[in-house]
Amino acid sequence: MSLLLQGLALGVLTGGLYALLASGLSLYFGVMRVVMVAHPAFLFLGAYLTYTVHTVFGLDPFLALPVTVPLFFVLGVAVQRLLIARLAPENLAMMSVLLTFGIALTIEGLLGTFYTGSYKSVSMDYATRSLTIAGVHLPYDKIIAFWVAAITLIVLFAVLVKSRFGQSLRATIQHREAARLVGIHTERVAGYGFGVGLATAAVGGTVLALITPFFPASHWVWIGKLMAIIVVGGLGSVIGAALAAVLLGVVEGLVLVTVDATWATMMFYVFLFLTLLARPQGFFGGRLAHRF
Amino acid sequence: MRIASRGLPLLVAALAIAYPFLVPNYYLVYAGALTVMYAAMATSWNLLGGFTGYVSLGHSAFFGLGAYGTGLLVVRAGVPWVVALLASALLVTVFAVVVGIAAVRVRGASFVIVSIALVSMMNLVVQGWRSLTGGSTGLQVPSPFPGLHRGQTHMVFFYLFLALLAIALASWWYVSRSRFGAGLRAIREDEDKAESLGVPTGAYKVTAFALSALFVALAGGLYAVWFGSLDPIFVFSILIGSYMVLMSLLGGVRHLFGPLLGALIVAPAGEYFLIALGETQIHLTATGLVLVLVVLFMPDGILARFTRRRAGPSIPDETAEQRLQGVAP
Repeated sequence: MSLLLQGLALGVLTGGLYALLASGLSLYFGVMRVVMVAHPAFLFLGAYLTYTVHTVFGLDPFLALPVTVPLFFVLGVAVQRLLIARLAPENLAMMSVLLTFGIALTIEGLLGTFYTGSYKSVSMDYATRSLTIAGVHLPYDKIIAFWVAAITLIVLFAVLVKSRFGQSLRATIQHREAARLVGIHTERVAGYGFGVGLATAAVGGTVLALITPFFPASHWVWIGKLMAIIVVGGLGSVIGAALAAVLLGVVEGLVLVTVDATWATMMFYVFLFLTLLARPQGFFGGRLAHRF
Repeated sequence: MRIASRGLPLLVAALAIAYPFLVPNYYLVYAGALTVMYAAMATSWNLLGGFTGYVSLGHSAFFGLGAYGTGLLVVRAGVPWVVALLASALLVTVFAVVVGIAAVRVRGASFVIVSIALVSMMNLVVQGWRSLTGGSTGLQVPSPFPGLHRGQTHMVFFYLFLALLAIALASWWYVSRSRFGAGLRAIREDEDKAESLGVPTGAYKVTAFALSALFVALAGGLYAVWFGSLDPIFVFSILIGSYMVLMSLLGGVRHLFGPLLGALIVAPAGEYFLIALGETQIHLTATGLVLVLVVLFMPDGILARFTRRRAGPSIPDETAEQRLQGVAP
């Protein structure tokens, strides 16, 4: 019983992190109908930058954020405006996947060249202990990861719902032509949408660096997991992705403690295929996700 | 033009057959066999990607399954390698039909996601099922020709891969002239319209998916007995799948010889990178950058530049004056 509770608790904590990591993917898909395969590669770029800040300057990993978040925002705007916006609209879905796939390979190769292919990790004293409540062990690093993810997501939602930029972004997601008709510069907004999405990758990368060892090819595992999350949630739906992330995080946690790690990861693909067979538009996606 | 278009393929074929006797050492025979293998795989990929426009990044799943299927039948069941090769290719084709029924239900971006997920799944299964596959330590397959030394084996497999390439090219050519091929092209242009015109889109897509998987699985099986050792991380890598896509796009997905041309450029370049730069990861960056450049600037491929047939509408949009200039002496 306590084993199941343990799996459940860990699942919720990692599910929160998955929600943050998948939120960027939902944003890209929303504004441009683009599946950004390079998102996990940027996550690990963020993780490696955090590693450099930590080892070279001896700073706390979270102090890397004031540098990486604005940097990734600019990179995101650049990727959208300089690369993705140039693609022909009639074949955007396929070509954008290939384009971002090329970006992912480029980043992986550069990381491998500069940091070598061996495992790196960032360990802090405060992250190695764990909190014990009623026989359930909760590592502090997972708790920190959960709260950072939760706070970032709350800020993201607040921006999307309250600010003028958030309103125009949501308008662009809902109906591009209509948004343009009421005077929104949809191209610019789409660029900023990419910037915000990639900025979440900077935060996610720092958190990943703290909780898990990483090497340049680690992003492939995350592509599969995150893609499964956004398909189960419904492509383009930020809230759907967050719910699916927690659901899959819990399923993974429960399978991890009862069966083994292979089956825990396999659950993501099982859910992906079940979703495609039963409900190809995803379980929480609305009209937006139709036919994609 | 007519002589060139008929004669050139024959000349290239003759050169290909003579290739192992023209090169000075066995390393170049090995590199040639590898290139022909990639050409065969890219051509099979194009049976799906070129006709239907469904971009699969996960065809290395079929490569790996074909390789492991053949290897396991030889090692664990003691089946002769030719039988193992054919049996495992058949099994992979059946598997592709089952997967295809789920995979081609979704279009565009979702299909690519499914194809990526397929590779990751197969990698997990093969690495996890340690008792059968040997897990991450890999699988050793005995050489099918114990009498031959390494170089002669390369030569035999060069011709085996060449035969596979010829079969794949012939299939593409046959499909491109058939009613089936016309249906697949209609799916690429406008799937809803094709369906409303009575094209059995679902069955056609699954058939194309399975046919394309069949030849990739055969290539995988040949690779298994040729190399003799299988590493799950390599055979199920997304990189092999992306090579097939890159080669096809670079050469031109709408042309019979497009993927072959792409393979002739990409595979030797990859080998060269490996020698010139050693085992560093920078070759990934090179592959990635080439892919980005091809997608941005040459999505129709090299061959599209040399042929009159453009990717656009068959009746070009031009003014009467332009037309007149075209026919004026």
